[in-house]
Amino acid sequence: MNIRRFVTLETVGAAMVTVLVIVAVLAPILAPHDPTIVVAPTFGDPGAPSLKFPMGTDELGRDVLSRIIFGARISLTVGVAAMAVTMTIGIAIGLCSGFFGGAVDFILMRFTDLMLSLPPLLLAMALVAVLGPSLRTIFIVIGLVSWTSIARVVRAETLAMSTRDFVVGAGALGAPSRRVIARHILPNVLPIIVVMAALRTSDTLLLDAALSFLGLGVPPPTPSWGRMIEEATIYFRTAPWLATFPGLAIFWAVLSFNLLGYGFLRRRSQ
Amino acid sequence: MLAYLVRRIVFGAAVLIGTSIITFAIAFVVPADPAVAMAGAKADPQTLASIRSELGLDQPLYVQYVRYLDRAVHGDLGRSYIRRESVTRMIVDRFPATALLASAAMALSLILGIAMGAIAAAYRGRAADNLLLVISLALVSIPVFWLGTMLLIAVAATIRSFPLGGYSGATSLILPTLTLALGSAGYYSRVLHTSLCEAFDQDYVRTARGKGLSRTRVMLRHAMANALLPLVTLAGLDLAGLLSGVVLTETVFNWPGIGRLAADAIFNLDIPVIMGTVLFSAFLIVVANLLVDLLYAWLDPRIRLAETG
Amino acid sequence: MTRRRILMAAIMLAFAAGCGGGPPPLNLPPHAMVLRLADVDDVPTLDPAAGYDTASWTFEQAIFDTLVRYGDGNIELEPDIATSWESSPDATTFTFHMRGDARFSDGRPVTSEDFRYGVERVLNPATRSRGMEYYRGIVGAEDFVAHRSAHLSGIETPDRTTIIFHLSAPDPIFAHKLAMPFASAIPRDVAEKWGDDFSRHVVGSGAFMLREWVSGQRLVLVRNPYYFNQPLPHLDAIVEAVGVNQELQWLRFDAGQIDAVVDIPPAEFPYVMKTPALRELTLAKTTVTTRYLGMNCQMWPFTDVRVRRAMSYAIDRHKLIAILNGRGVVARGVMPPNLPGYDPDLQGYDYDPARARALLEEAHLAHGFDFEIWLRADQTLLMLAESIQQDLAPLGIHATLKPVAWGPFLEAIRQPHTVQSYMQGWEADFPDPENFLGALLSRAQWGSNNDSFYSNPAVEALLAEAEPIADMKKRYALYDEAEKIVVADAPWVFLYYPVTYIIRQPWVHDYVINPMRPTRFEHVWLSPHPE
Repeated sequence: MNIRRFVTLETVGAAMVTVLVIVAVLAPILAPHDPTIVVAPTFGDPGAPSLKFPMGTDELGRDVLSRIIFGARISLTVGVAAMAVTMTIGIAIGLCSGFFGGAVDFILMRFTDLMLSLPPLLLAMALVAVLGPSLRTIFIVIGLVSWTSIARVVRAETLAMSTRDFVVGAGALGAPSRRVIARHILPNVLPIIVVMAALRTSDTLLLDAALSFLGLGVPPPTPSWGRMIEEATIYFRTAPWLATFPGLAIFWAVLSFNLLGYGFLRRRSQ
Repeated sequence: MLAYLVRRIVFGAAVLIGTSIITFAIAFVVPADPAVAMAGAKADPQTLASIRSELGLDQPLYVQYVRYLDRAVHGDLGRSYIRRESVTRMIVDRFPATALLASAAMALSLILGIAMGAIAAAYRGRAADNLLLVISLALVSIPVFWLGTMLLIAVAATIRSFPLGGYSGATSLILPTLTLALGSAGYYSRVLHTSLCEAFDQDYVRTARGKGLSRTRVMLRHAMANALLPLVTLAGLDLAGLLSGVVLTETVFNWPGIGRLAADAIFNLDIPVIMGTVLFSAFLIVVANLLVDLLYAWLDPRIRLAETG
Repeated sequence: MTRRRILMAAIMLAFAAGCGGGPPPLNLPPHAMVLRLADVDDVPTLDPAAGYDTASWTFEQAIFDTLVRYGDGNIELEPDIATSWESSPDATTFTFHMRGDARFSDGRPVTSEDFRYGVERVLNPATRSRGMEYYRGIVGAEDFVAHRSAHLSGIETPDRTTIIFHLSAPDPIFAHKLAMPFASAIPRDVAEKWGDDFSRHVVGSGAFMLREWVSGQRLVLVRNPYYFNQPLPHLDAIVEAVGVNQELQWLRFDAGQIDAVVDIPPAEFPYVMKTPALRELTLAKTTVTTRYLGMNCQMWPFTDVRVRRAMSYAIDRHKLIAILNGRGVVARGVMPPNLPGYDPDLQGYDYDPARARALLEEAHLAHGFDFEIWLRADQTLLMLAESIQQDLAPLGIHATLKPVAWGPFLEAIRQPHTVQSYMQGWEADFPDPENFLGALLSRAQWGSNNDSFYSNPAVEALLAEAEPIADMKKRYALYDEAEKIVVADAPWVFLYYPVTYIIRQPWVHDYVINPMRPTRFEHVWLSPHPE
């Protein structure tokens, strides 16, 4: 049996995502301590990694390992929810644009161009600052700023599909647009949607981490990896591990979805 | 060509107006009285009332918008609530630092990206290709602000008297540029790799190979030139993404640019500065898109002919 | 092919052109005595009418003069441009006699008109000054603010060196309001020439003058050759690098590149305190500031005084001080030490969770409750708030944090039924109990600074009685009574009084810290040191 055949981008990615999901779901069982309570008197003077606390303790005396584990919950929740919002908007716009063409296409594409000229992070920051940071606000805002690439890709695929014979035929037979889209176009656009979903999730995870880092993420005491890095920056000389571990966690999560998405992409183009 | 140019400019102006409406809408949805932001913690209601009427905040929204747009077109973006300074002046003061960082990072990411992509394509299917693929994906997955912090940690622990933030000459540019460039480098290397591999399958390349030219020569001479064009245009169009990275990098390294200005303003809900920086970024992006489109048309005769035809 | 070559060349040229950046060199004479400082953020403004924060006041004090000022290390009023002053027995008229030899840095002499102009400028709504409220007590202020009169009728300038203030109500501490930078002497011609941009082109009569201000990079002051108090200042120049984060400031201090660090970064603090050589170089001041958790007395559950007292017993203040590495003093009451009128014998509340539990039971909240804590989105405040969350959790009290930006925060806490509790701090503007008790806890301040919407008729009576009294002993006694009632009513959980630690190089001398104002630079001098 050749191991090489199984170690592909998407399988490694899938494995990493699975680990992430397991950690997030089983957090209360896996974490050695409650992430919000004081376990060591290291106030203002973070404790180094030790046998008792493998990732050390932070400036409020909390166990870093437990906070990393619970942080997976927030990251995954926001990442997936934001991806769902983004995909919904992007697919809706892309399908309508590609299928109906004409004026609808023109307006929607011009609107997309408008969104593209606003830097996503700045826009997300402004919206969150204005609306106040909370779990729901964050994933909706992230979803709102990330849909442009999906819209374009789906539109391109829909356009390609629309000119195919069976679709034109269905239309000529008098089938309502909704049915044509649902029956004929959507199933064929699905593969690219799956790929984009994975790739989008890695982007939303990064955007969420960036917002948390800038102080606009989910408020404390819920542990969030981005905010853990932000709190650790002032200790970068005296307690560098404090910033290292949350970053590795984000890296793991983002890389896993990138591997998954890119692996599917390559498979599809072969 | 001229018609094309005019059309693109008109479109760009429309985008800017659209952007200004969106930012204005967001700014005035803010549930906070700007007079309070200006007057500070200890102001009494009378002070607030006089400030409000001085700023014209008691006018209806559309009147305020039209006045804002009118002033903006003449280069006056208002005054910061917190610092009383002219927003235009604040942006102009800080723009060179961001421009320097952004261009350095763009250049570095293109150089690295092209190198990685070209090498991976040259050894397509072999170990080097797979290794570079993984490296590229890893680079794209690293959060920019974490990379910056890790670099700070590494340098602080090893090299003495290396500038660790702030803008103080050439050496202080190294870390921020590296931070900003690595992610894009990974991305560009994949794009180039894909273009090169597609180019390899094209007829004229096969012909050259058939003639017996070495693989590298074939790549450099024939394939690269045609694959570079989409990459450079992509880089130009990626300005929006670059600006997002700039905000994070400037925050980590205390770089005195407009990214940091925007982040601070958003944090303090300093509305005029937020609007000014977002509008300015949109302006840059629109101009960049325009330049790239024109450049593309100039360099690639097929497009020009298609437009006029 | 040639087109592409041209393109590549153009790109490279553009890039090379951009690479020349960096701040321009400073041309100071060799052997100049230069004080080098650094700060995280840029100085907000140098305009005395606009500035109302530590950074702005630090430099405004150096560039401008007021009629009276505080001593270097204390809060006693001293002459600045005024050589002597007196007030009428009923504290409604204040007369100041000025020296005649003070000049602005452009050579022009300072007259009483310049002080009149300074105060009028603050009261002028077009300036949008944050100091307006301090001078509303001057006769004619209302008319002036409403643009009904061109000048303040309550300020008299009979000659160039005399200025008289008439107040519409007795105010025994009015002289202190003239010690704030808001009341600096401003040259009318320069201010009117630059309008809103005066901040960038300031001209004052203080010991230093503005030489250069590169936004986001550095601020440079040099000595004012016309300063009246020769041979001061000893320093030739002050250079502040801005945009330097705390860790970086520390590293530069360690390398001898800056002369003082005004706020030692939390990460380095334990190390500094453990190293005797460094510890010697620190100076500490208990700031005249109180940090507290305000509770809205008009909103459930804080309408019940038992719940408020329970909160006071439930929160561990010593843990907060530990989180701050010891940079604070546990608060027992409203007023901080160093404020005249402070009562060192005040009992306050100890950490006593059992008592808290008992009180909650009495209030029928034995199972705890949920509530919100609003706070400014500041890292330190968040850490302290999280500690408070930890303390309250075992009692079943679940606190949700709401970090918001400064503007919306102020908006929200001033609404009577929006915010249940909030983290806040108050720094003294002038050394008198009225500045705390009157400004923060009187009925008249509802919707303004009394964000706990607290009101007690007994306290109101005492405050009204004390305000016009000029006999300090009697005054403080009345305020003390009022404070005791407030502590018993517990509208706030009194958290702590912050202590700031400054560290300076061994070659910096006469760098004195003032409990209520930023350090003054006139007397500072440096002995020769390695660069």
